[in-house]
Amino acid sequence: MAAPERSVAGGLPEAAPRCQDEMVVGTEANYELISQLQGKAAARFLPFNVTLELTLNCNIRCLHCYNLDRDEPRHGACGSGSGANADAHKPELTLPEILQLLSDLRDAGCLILGLTGGEVLTYPHLFAVLDRARELNLAVQLLTNGTMLQPGIAARLAAYRNLLGVSISLYGATADVHDGITQIAGSFRRTWEGAQRLRAAGVAVRLKFIVMRPNAHQMAEMLAQATTRDFPYMVDVTITPRHDGTRGSLAMRVTEDQLADLYRGPLRDLLPTGTRPMTEDQFSCNCARGNCAISVTGDVQPCVSVPWAAGNVRERPFIDIWRYSPVFQKIRGLRIADYEACAPCPDKSYCSRNRGAAFNHSGSYTGTDPFVCTTAAITREVVTSATTK
Amino acid sequence: MSAAAPRSSSSWRRDNELPFQKLDEETIVLDPRRREVHLLNETAARIWELLASPRSLDELSATLGDEYDVPEAELQEAVAECVDGLTQKGLLIPVGKAPQADPRGAAR
Repeated sequence: MAAPERSVAGGLPEAAPRCQDEMVVGTEANYELISQLQGKAAARFLPFNVTLELTLNCNIRCLHCYNLDRDEPRHGACGSGSGANADAHKPELTLPEILQLLSDLRDAGCLILGLTGGEVLTYPHLFAVLDRARELNLAVQLLTNGTMLQPGIAARLAAYRNLLGVSISLYGATADVHDGITQIAGSFRRTWEGAQRLRAAGVAVRLKFIVMRPNAHQMAEMLAQATTRDFPYMVDVTITPRHDGTRGSLAMRVTEDQLADLYRGPLRDLLPTGTRPMTEDQFSCNCARGNCAISVTGDVQPCVSVPWAAGNVRERPFIDIWRYSPVFQKIRGLRIADYEACAPCPDKSYCSRNRGAAFNHSGSYTGTDPFVCTTAAITREVVTSATTK
Repeated sequence: MSAAAPRSSSSWRRDNELPFQKLDEETIVLDPRRREVHLLNETAARIWELLASPRSLDELSATLGDEYDVPEAELQEAVAECVDGLTQKGLLIPVGKAPQADPRGAAR
């Protein structure tokens, strides 16, 4: 199995996992082993990968942000909680609560801790969290926009020997397009500088390209920039409704015509062949089995993109939520037949079944999002037309 | 793999900054700097566990001798080989040199 140094979500190649939470930065060379270990942990319901949202604060104002509409006033000083079920006035976890939570995660079987935001580098206690993760022998991956990776920060991060790597998001091949999406002038330059600076300091860096209506025409150039500079990358075409319930982000989704052009063009080589048998194992992802996420207010969720609270760590120990919550028990018991629209769908082998999009669109974990269905149909059309010529 | 190499040090400890986690009887150790993933079998995992604090080969062998029904010489050889392998992979750190034999005799 080849290491997926390039992949596209929303049409994942066979070599890549179905869930982006399982694409651990810095382990690409050992992808097969890590994937096996993730599968083993998931089969035993051990929370091997946990993503922790440290803050909803962000220094850029992306039009496609899945957390919240950053052009609208927010409740409280530090965010509103990210779950659809979250109380908008719930306070964020305190540093002592987070430090205790890390110990609980370690005891429950966690090895890989993803730290995200908001922008994780705006979190004032980030280095205290990293110190604790190091003490607990947890491996860490950071998800960031890269704009705050000044020389001192990059050097400080590089000193953590438990830092697996950093995923940095990019939204264009030129400053006008990228900065137009982030609504912050200079962010394109600072993101690239941050990525290069961090890699020069010895940290594994992977770029994450989010394909949107304003940048679709630059996708070939974006991939070329990553290749020229020798950065691994992944591509995501799925923009979801926001966790605050607003849907303005959807205006950023690529059109069907753009998607078809991308899949026939620059993203063609990243598409699945559709030959993978759609078994129960292939259809399910590791969320709630070997992965989960914890929101800024302490809600334990199946993954960071599915704000379906299984419980809150302030009210119940993490291990109890992980083992016994009805939400996680339900997800663990799902079979393909329970996904009513997906079960009979002929496009299953070409579909990412992006659960975040499905959940945020339909309100149901087993629901669908027409965009995801369209993506799968376009993928099948492109792949099968090429193979029958 | 030579079993003689680790005997140049008197004791070892694991690199306590490396991420690891137990998964059944095995232990996964990640080395982000080297971009390496190690999967330790049950015996290596036990040695990794014991070396949370420094121990000599003799101490390791004595502890493992109480846990495994293996002839002493065979066990010592296996422990030395395992420690050597883990050291070469960068997972263990020698923490003390064995005292050099005094050429003027032990009586001094």
